[in-house]
Amino acid sequence: MGMNSFSESNLDLDEQISQLMECKPLSEQQVRGLCEKAKEILMDESNVQPVKSPVTICGDIHGQFHDLAELFRIGGKCPDTNYLFMGDYVDRGYYSVETVTLLVALKVRYPQRITILRGNHESRQTFTDLFDYFPLTALVESEIFCLHGGLSPSIETLDSIRNFDRVQEVPHEGPMCDLLWSDPDDRCGWGISPRGAGYTFGQDISEQFNHTNSLKLIARAHQLVMDGFNWAHEQKVVTIFSAPNYCYRCGNMASILEVDDCKSHTFIQFEPAPRRGEPDVTRRTPDYFL
Amino acid sequence: MEVEVDDNDLKAAGAELLTEGRRGIRIHGWEVHSRNCSILTSSTLELWGEKLQTSHLPEMIFGDSCLVLKHIKSGTKIHFNAFDALLGWKQEALPPVEVPAAEKWKFRSKPSQQVILDYDYTFTTPYRGSETIEIDATKHEREGVSEETYNLQWEDCKEKIDVATLAPKEPILFYDEVILYEDELADNGVSLLTVKVRVMPSSWFLLLRFWLRVDGVLMRIRDTRMHCIFGDNANPTILRESCWRESTFQSLSAKGYPSDSAAYADPSTINERLPIVMHKSEVLKVPGNF
Repeated sequence: MGMNSFSESNLDLDEQISQLMECKPLSEQQVRGLCEKAKEILMDESNVQPVKSPVTICGDIHGQFHDLAELFRIGGKCPDTNYLFMGDYVDRGYYSVETVTLLVALKVRYPQRITILRGNHESRQTFTDLFDYFPLTALVESEIFCLHGGLSPSIETLDSIRNFDRVQEVPHEGPMCDLLWSDPDDRCGWGISPRGAGYTFGQDISEQFNHTNSLKLIARAHQLVMDGFNWAHEQKVVTIFSAPNYCYRCGNMASILEVDDCKSHTFIQFEPAPRRGEPDVTRRTPDYFL
Repeated sequence: MEVEVDDNDLKAAGAELLTEGRRGIRIHGWEVHSRNCSILTSSTLELWGEKLQTSHLPEMIFGDSCLVLKHIKSGTKIHFNAFDALLGWKQEALPPVEVPAAEKWKFRSKPSQQVILDYDYTFTTPYRGSETIEIDATKHEREGVSEETYNLQWEDCKEKIDVATLAPKEPILFYDEVILYEDELADNGVSLLTVKVRVMPSSWFLLLRFWLRVDGVLMRIRDTRMHCIFGDNANPTILRESCWRESTFQSLSAKGYPSDSAAYADPSTINERLPIVMHKSEVLKVPGNF
């Protein structure tokens, strides 16, 4: 590719990004083009994608586009700030497509500056097979293990994750499913839920896993937490949730985790952005229900 | 947030809306008040876990939200809150419903590390509302009545709520909907407890609904309706009708109904398809002055 066409395509991309920043969707053709470029980049990323600090780690967004825009205002613009998103970009909120498209466009434009992992909501139903290429986990400075859900009884080491063939729809069962679905729990050991999505894992499991893999912390998303972040397992595990006022009615705070050059951590909490054009769900229209 | 109500309608009915930011209405000796708040904070959530002796609670508990209908003169209070509903869930303690994915599930952890989470993750509750008599303390001192709990007694009856009187002939003076708790069942469906109220010039009417859909497996609707017609009588009566419906997806498809979850998004439209498993009418005679 010549220098000219390279800068031209970046020029196009920059235009697309500023259009998306205003929550205006791209044309189908533009989206298709972005997806193809994104796949090429994502294909070369590891299942345990290495990430350098400084980086800002974010949890669930769930189509709450205006809150993602607020996140960038608070955390700094990409590429001035490096970002790591831990999945669940779609569903629940009003702007799933705009949210994913923006993150994918940023990935294509600044591949080294932003990492986008796969969440349990990133299934083929919503965006064809693009999500199959998203890495499952990331590793910040070899000490913070980041993923959407949690640990799996079938995975003892990071190396075993590196060997998965991840480019597929997430199966209903198995280690890949666990990484996207599991939750930390107060009870020790592995909890098996009748609802059949992932395991729960206790503090003993987190301690063992962190020790085996020389980790300091597991950062994960997946669960709604009132304060936007929540420590578990004596600070071996943290949950980060970045959709404030989830579903436009929960009243929760959102947060992001900044890891600086010296690898020290700061949580930044934020509230919903003032928004236009979204229905106010607190306004209830009287109906003659029976 | 307020939905406009015609002042003339209020005046004609001898009603007034509550003030000082409280949502509700005073009419014919009743005060109807609703409150919609944020989900529980992590510390309150922990406290509830201790009180209810569980570490598994719905993802979204609107613990401070409530609907209260108070007969001012007698202190009789009919109210709805998430805590009492979850207390009911704990006591009923239904066996867990198994989702299809769980059947395919294998135990991959060491048996010594396994914990089976066999609680009812659907949060099905037999809750039909709470009732208390709130006694004016100053009045007590004056009259020398000792502190006493009055039990309100619902009596079985054959009467049914007269739907014809609830037709949209009258203006709605006050309306609200309060979500008490909600869980997405790890994306396997929905569990939702809400209460809706409407106050007209001649009566108040409410619907408490527990709605459960475990995708591909089961649906449950547990409705409780209450109706109180305003009259000259100082001791009003409240009619309560509970109707529980339940069906498996299997038996629905055997009857030729669709079996995909998308067809069952709105409980009010599918009510008739689910067979009744419990029906009960009761009446409460609001006691005279204390």
